[in-house]
Amino acid sequence: MVWATLIRDLRKHTNGWLLIGLVGAALVLLPLLPILFSLFQAPNANWLHIQEYLLKSYIAQSLWLVLFTSGFAILVAVPLAWLIAAYDFPLRRFFRWGLMLPLAVPPYIAAYTYSTMFSYTGVVQTTLRSVGLTVSPTFGISSMPGAIFVFTLFLFPYVYVVTKSFLENQSGSYVENALLLGRSPTAIFTRIVLPLARPAVIGGVTLVVFEVLSDYGVTNYFGVQTISTAIFRTWFGMYDVDSAVRLSAWLMVGIIGLFILERMLRQNKRFSASTSKSRPLVPRRLTGAAALAAFAFSGLVFAWSFLIPLLQLGVWAAWTYADVLTPSFWQLTYRSLQLALAATAIIMVFAVVVANVYRTQANRFAQALARLITAGYSIPGAIVAVGVLVVFLEIDQQLAPLYARMGMGEAPLVLSLSLAMLLIAYVVRFMATGYNAVEAGFEKIGTRYLEVSRMLGQGITRSFFKVDLPLIRGALFSGAILTFVEIVKELPLALLLRPFNFETLATKAYQYASDEQIHQAAVPSLFIIGLSMLSVFLLDRFGKERTE
Amino acid sequence: MSFVDVRNISFTYAASQPPVIHDFSFSMEKGETVGILGPSGSGKSTLLRLIAGLESPRAGAVVIAGQTVVDERTFVLPEKRGVGMVFQDYGLFPHLTVAENVEFGLHRLSRGERRARAKEMFDLVQLTGYEGRYPHELSGGQQQRVALARALAPRPSMLLMDEPFSNLDTNLKASIRSELRAILDRADMTCLFVTHDQNDVEAICHRTVVMGDTVRPTEVQATAAAAWR
Repeated sequence: MVWATLIRDLRKHTNGWLLIGLVGAALVLLPLLPILFSLFQAPNANWLHIQEYLLKSYIAQSLWLVLFTSGFAILVAVPLAWLIAAYDFPLRRFFRWGLMLPLAVPPYIAAYTYSTMFSYTGVVQTTLRSVGLTVSPTFGISSMPGAIFVFTLFLFPYVYVVTKSFLENQSGSYVENALLLGRSPTAIFTRIVLPLARPAVIGGVTLVVFEVLSDYGVTNYFGVQTISTAIFRTWFGMYDVDSAVRLSAWLMVGIIGLFILERMLRQNKRFSASTSKSRPLVPRRLTGAAALAAFAFSGLVFAWSFLIPLLQLGVWAAWTYADVLTPSFWQLTYRSLQLALAATAIIMVFAVVVANVYRTQANRFAQALARLITAGYSIPGAIVAVGVLVVFLEIDQQLAPLYARMGMGEAPLVLSLSLAMLLIAYVVRFMATGYNAVEAGFEKIGTRYLEVSRMLGQGITRSFFKVDLPLIRGALFSGAILTFVEIVKELPLALLLRPFNFETLATKAYQYASDEQIHQAAVPSLFIIGLSMLSVFLLDRFGKERTE
Repeated sequence: MSFVDVRNISFTYAASQPPVIHDFSFSMEKGETVGILGPSGSGKSTLLRLIAGLESPRAGAVVIAGQTVVDERTFVLPEKRGVGMVFQDYGLFPHLTVAENVEFGLHRLSRGERRARAKEMFDLVQLTGYEGRYPHELSGGQQQRVALARALAPRPSMLLMDEPFSNLDTNLKASIRSELRAILDRADMTCLFVTHDQNDVEAICHRTVVMGDTVRPTEVQATAAAAWR
């Protein structure tokens, strides 16, 4: 009896969506498994040394970085989101999308820009000296506070964007009701807006946390010892891959805990609207000092998180562009973008499939599938790189007889020297960016339309194309753009997995910066920022179309 | 044999929770309209979702027009059951016009047939002239009628209605009740109707089933509509 019912339910849930979703999960999981398995192998002597003397400090540094960055990011992003969504003040329309622009500046670019600006020869200290002020010679931002400063300024838009769009689209009727009930704006913010926006804020903060934990560029440049830089150092400094993998395995365990925490925080606080019609919030006009304060706050954040570094990079680029812009640079750019686009396309297909399985089946298995496919985001680039490399070497080994038959010689490395490796690594690493956007889109439309469609005789697939797809188009588009930008900006994976003679824009910029050619780094950096700006702009335009 | 047979059905959302519906049975004749009454949380909507195929029962069977749509080893997907449903919030597709909403379930028909059937539906619910509008441009009562037209258009073997009047104001309810009774009669539709309003039952249903704490039909009563029929 029970078995028959189990088989019935299994059959009910098995469809093409699930099968494609399983393929996607396998693709993501395959490179990650060797890392988790490392936990069950005996550690070497070096690991015992790391564990005894270094691990605590790595963990502490990572934790401080994460805590302070998320805290400051919330402090900056949530009030900004509320100001922009609920009030009208000078230049509000500009700030509305301008405050997303820091997303276009990868933190590692900001790190070397600000660090050079604040250095002895940088624009800040030379200007101060010219007016007779001197700064302590040890002053610099290459430190923990500097890293927190950079991460906060350039990652806060993750929280800002989701919170703002949530407030704009979802909170209208609640806020109006609260106003009618005579509550003050402060009370509305703390009693209505904050609790309602909590799932959105938590979603954004989670992105910030994973960005920080996975970072290599900023922390390495500033000499902050996090678990991620430690993984690089044990690998490249001590040539101890086992310990590097073990370190990341522990990081992964911690991050899985974080995942569970995020889900718990979000699930307990998921309010379901009592009305299916969500009314957009109508901004109220601010005047006098309030308007000035709102303008000053937004303007200050915008200047530090975008305008100032951009101007500085512009100046440097003006000095060096003639040396940098060669035909080979253009070719590099073209190929770098092509690769990012291909990875984005693959990601979005799997993201949509798995998100749809998750919501149509709503069981533990589908939930596990969704968690699995997004696992890569929590894994630092270096680790995804080792995992992918191990898998590709294995595949090449298995295919050796085939290669030989095709006359390619004995045991050549075909796939593991190809771009496919970097492509797959991008897919593994950034699936979550696309997936989260799609899942949020599905969450927003709910399952009612799907249920109606099925009651009218359409299967899940037809329902998807006729009903769900048009309704989640906005989320899909946002997800694709965010993913594309992430990939173009990505540094550690590209550094480790690019084939010989292949550079991405990011590796080129970082190479310049590491070679003390900061001024040359400005050109590819501006390219990355420019491209990312274009996506931010498109994202904003699409968002507007949707709400209008 | 009855047209619709619900046999000893049980349902739980999670294994740890007490059953929402426990060992519940009832049956309907063709053309009959049955009202399900009961306090909220008594499993009325869940019963509709089980019949529709939007949930799977823990145990029990549902037979519609001689076909077993669900039992221990069978599960017919909702899109294959030929059951129509009007949801409490209507679920009109916001990106489609009223006409496109109504034609949505007619994908197996040719374009001409689809148009003709949709027109028939618009006449039935008296919404001719509103075809090109979008759902948000309609009043609550009009939306309700579009949802009804859309559910009836593919000629379902039975219609499920989940508190379809709960979003309407009192004046509108009265007129729509009598309209609905007439529409159901004209379509000779078998209809299961969830409500918590005794007035709905009296105006529309031939008899009622009450779901309560015991989750058994404690009361089966004939209503005014039955006499009127």
